[in-house]
Amino acid sequence: MTITTPTLHRSPGWLRWAWLVPAVFLVIFLGVPLVSLAAQIVSPDTISYFTDPLPWRVAGLATGQALLSTALALLLGLPMANVLTRYRFPGRRWALALATVPFVLPTVVVALAFRALLGASLGSGLAIVVLAHAYLNLAVVVRIVGARWATIDPRFETVARTLRADRLTAFRTVTLPALAPAIASAAAIVFVFSFTSLGIVLLLGDANTRTLESLVLRQTSVLLDFQGAAISAAIQAMVVGSVLLWAARQRSSGGTFRGGHLIRPDGFARIVVGIVIALTLLIVLAPVAALVWSSLRSSSGWTLSWWSSVFGAQTIDAGSTRIGSPLAAMGRSLAYALLTGIVAAIVGGMAAVSVLSGRIGRAFALATALPLGISAATLGLGTLLAYGREPLDLRATGMLVPMAHALIAVPLVVAVATPTLRAADSRLVTVAATLRARPSRAWWTAYGPILRTVMVAAGGLACAVSLGEFGAASFLARADGLTVPLVIARLLGRPGEASFGVAAVMAVILVVMTTALVAAVDKGGRRS
Amino acid sequence: MKRIPTVTVALIATSMFVLAACSSDSPSSEETAASGPVTVQLLTHDSFALSEDVIADFEASSGITLEVVSGGDAGSMVAGAILAAGAPTADVMFGVDNTLVTRTLDEGVFEPYTSPESSALRPELADQTFEGRVTPIDFGDVCINIDDTWFAAEGIAAPTTLEDLANPTYKDLLVVQDPGTSSPGLAFLLSTVSRYGDAWPDYWQRLRDNGVKVSGSWSDAYYGDFTFGGGGDRPIVVSYATSPPAEIVYAEGEPPARPSTSVMTDGCYRQIEYAGILAGTDQPAAAQQVIDWLLSPEVQADIPLNMFVFPARQDIPLPAVFTEFAAQVDSAEQLPAEFVAENVGDLLAKWGSVMGR
Repeated sequence: MTITTPTLHRSPGWLRWAWLVPAVFLVIFLGVPLVSLAAQIVSPDTISYFTDPLPWRVAGLATGQALLSTALALLLGLPMANVLTRYRFPGRRWALALATVPFVLPTVVVALAFRALLGASLGSGLAIVVLAHAYLNLAVVVRIVGARWATIDPRFETVARTLRADRLTAFRTVTLPALAPAIASAAAIVFVFSFTSLGIVLLLGDANTRTLESLVLRQTSVLLDFQGAAISAAIQAMVVGSVLLWAARQRSSGGTFRGGHLIRPDGFARIVVGIVIALTLLIVLAPVAALVWSSLRSSSGWTLSWWSSVFGAQTIDAGSTRIGSPLAAMGRSLAYALLTGIVAAIVGGMAAVSVLSGRIGRAFALATALPLGISAATLGLGTLLAYGREPLDLRATGMLVPMAHALIAVPLVVAVATPTLRAADSRLVTVAATLRARPSRAWWTAYGPILRTVMVAAGGLACAVSLGEFGAASFLARADGLTVPLVIARLLGRPGEASFGVAAVMAVILVVMTTALVAAVDKGGRRS
Repeated sequence: MKRIPTVTVALIATSMFVLAACSSDSPSSEETAASGPVTVQLLTHDSFALSEDVIADFEASSGITLEVVSGGDAGSMVAGAILAAGAPTADVMFGVDNTLVTRTLDEGVFEPYTSPESSALRPELADQTFEGRVTPIDFGDVCINIDDTWFAAEGIAAPTTLEDLANPTYKDLLVVQDPGTSSPGLAFLLSTVSRYGDAWPDYWQRLRDNGVKVSGSWSDAYYGDFTFGGGGDRPIVVSYATSPPAEIVYAEGEPPARPSTSVMTDGCYRQIEYAGILAGTDQPAAAQQVIDWLLSPEVQADIPLNMFVFPARQDIPLPAVFTEFAAQVDSAEQLPAEFVAENVGDLLAKWGSVMGR
């Protein structure tokens, strides 16, 4: 046995049953809805729809697009992950939280910002879609790769360099192999998000930049062609499943875990770190600056009206049920986000631990990742059929939205946790056990600190998922239970200057909420 | 190490509190199944809105608690209703329009009901109830909107007909929405089908040659491409006959004397929104009361300024911004609902091949 592929053979007793938590969660919130939906749709002649060439052609186009988006996201995200998670500099925590912001920006807001910045030179189509996807997914790369990178002892590279390896060689032979599973995880997830993208593709794409998700939407809500939609959704789930399976097989080499101490940059490193921080801020903040500008402008010049209409009034459009109270929407979004973070961290953490302990098979590991490949329309309709009517109508409990969000976030938690846990040194368990520690005590000694680090990183990402999610919430929210992205969408669905101005204010607020919440989660994690 | 349980306990406690807070404001359906107050769930799309006091008055006078549940956009809502036909997710559905209604009828989504208030319907809507299975509540027209300020500044006369839009004078000035993903986009396509019959693809070919731009959604077109809404460069957009009054109502501070956009009344497509009782409801009597209420003068008068569509009753005075600035179209294009249901897939495919999308 090598230290690189530990098995948790001396694990405490409760660990044996950890898999039950994700299993029950998945059955309730994914299995039952999908079966309810399939029971309505699938018939013997559904299979004949598989020969329709359209979904296959769209799958091909989406694959090409998603590969390009993934490559660009890695190219931009890896240097950011390195600098933001390994080096010590003032405001690091805030910079790391800011890097999460693109992930939660409402799609239509990002689309408008990209068109304003690049539309004139790029028009609609593949190039601008790939750029927007890379931008939105920076957080995925930074968070997943960063969580692993932060745990790699920088002294290994130093040693390699003492042995006359140049920087690049040291990176290639020492750091990269240790990072490989995390990079694979991140790449797989960026691929999946780009492959299943909806809003960006609708708003910035053209005939040859489509996804199965956009096809499912058209088949469900315009053509009411449920058989066709089922096939498209099935093809999407198969592609996503294969990609995630590939990622799950990537093994780490080079177990170099060490606590997350930060490097103080000096000399040349100082310059590089400075440049990367500046670029990060520029890339992340350019669309945000455009939003702030929109929130302060009207046809007659600068104005604070949009801001005062959000904070001054109890409801937007006084007396009407259309939008409701913006402050209540913010409170609701925050509560949903916290709940999502907690549930996803627990469920995802149990799943990651179970996967590593070898208690469950690869098929189950795959099942925990599958929510990523299920389209929002599929999940929303299925949940509605299962839990939106008698005898079990759960909409009034307000639970369906955060549970759907947790379901979407669990795969991200697993992706953050697995590569890092896998690298943890299981010899510590043995050592502790030799010192007559009880098994659970020994296990915590080895895995406790690292588990806490990755759970916090993952929980922050899960909060962000919830804050920005639109599709599932639009199906499952009660009319008086809107989240901030739903409020923004309603505002943008009507004409008039105030609509766009107030929507911009709400988007800026969403950015602030995300940054603050993620920074707080990071901070809380460090202290505990 | 020992802190972990504390943190976990704190987090769980927080989540319980959140859950309690989330759920405390709604009565559970068990309580209401008893003889006491009745709850009716009204399933609508996400553009639904009424005044809070109109809803409160109804609840006070009828003893019915109205719970509004959102089904997403109109298409997703209808899809959900069809999938749940017979065992519905609500008691009443509002907002299915004439492009989608036929499929709901085929699938037995609605239970027939003719409201006594139907006698007040506008004559042209009175016979559009599909044997009493649905009730028209409002209607609106999807029309070309013009940025008057832009045309005045350029010294060009604004277009007045569908034919004008293909004229080189207006090259590169029009933005429309993709009919496969946008409801007004589909309405505009149907309008051209109604006008040009089998020759509609030629018309779209001419629009394409004249530089028409296709956007993914109404928001994207209006705020991204339209010269008035945002920083766009296209002064002609597919929108609604009521967009100019909305521009006044949602203006900053003191509303301007008149809107800077106007409506081209040629080639508008009429959308009718229906309500119906969902078959399988366990509250049929209360559901009927909700339909009556939706068609009552109070709600009908409340509709224009909340949803920016016209009331289906003929005896409702319109607000001043509507009479002054909304286009009241006498001869809107319309296709039979059955024709739309049967052909929408082919129309979209054909449109896609003409437009290269």
